[in-house]
Amino acid sequence: MRSTRSRWSSYGWYWQRISGLLLVVFTIGHYVTVHWTEAAGHSFESSIERLANPLFQFWYLGFVLLGFYHGVQGLYNIVRDFKLPRVLLVGIMGIVIIAALYFVYLGFDTVLTVHEWKHLP
Amino acid sequence: MRGIRVLESVCRISLRRVGTAGDTIMAYLQQRSPIKTWWENVRRYRWHAGLVAWVLHRITGLALLGYLFVHIWALRTLVKGSAAFEAEMQLFTTPFFKVAEWLLFAVVLFHALNGIRIALVDFSTQGAYRQRLLLHLVYGIGVAMMLLMGVLIFLDPFAV
Repeated sequence: MRSTRSRWSSYGWYWQRISGLLLVVFTIGHYVTVHWTEAAGHSFESSIERLANPLFQFWYLGFVLLGFYHGVQGLYNIVRDFKLPRVLLVGIMGIVIIAALYFVYLGFDTVLTVHEWKHLP
Repeated sequence: MRGIRVLESVCRISLRRVGTAGDTIMAYLQQRSPIKTWWENVRRYRWHAGLVAWVLHRITGLALLGYLFVHIWALRTLVKGSAAFEAEMQLFTTPFFKVAEWLLFAVVLFHALNGIRIALVDFSTQGAYRQRLLLHLVYGIGVAMMLLMGVLIFLDPFAV
């Protein structure tokens, strides 16, 4: 069992770096498109214009998924460094994973239902 | 006579119980405080630049995971329509939130640049031998981009 566990944690180590590097690219794109000017990031029109674009939808869904993967994996790396009782480790990670899944759903729902709410006053 | 003997044994048992409880409490009070142990370890560490970067990477990482939740929650207002969203965004153009946005950029920037440094140290052949240069680049590029973002946020030069 021990060898299996260390094999898996080495995958986590590798993908943490790969997803991190991808997130740097995503974040630069996010800052350039959304935060170049104040109006770009803070107006309803510019937001729906972006979110209605399939390319941007794809971009944001990937960003949310990758962000939560990297974040939850990073939290696990931190929590695992403390010698916590197993109940506490499973409890903390369980709560965070369930919350992350709900917020992935929330983000996907906001992006994918843009045609329903873009005409609201 | 019998009554006194019973009373005597009850007292002896109670006294022993009080004694045991006292021992437990004293043992609890005499054990080292975990916070004190932690603080002594922290003081004993050699706080070299790599350790500082490691600690900052973890703290900023936790902050960013928290912010990801807040960000998705805040943008959920889009679903309520134009008026609600514009009202919320008005809040974010106040000076307090502009400074907060700038500090958030510092957190993102450090985590990104230090992450690139980690990847270079781990994956490139030269990274592990150029640690000092890489750390200088992280903080140098970080401060420069922080100033640039300050101009973009507070002066908004590209506004149309």
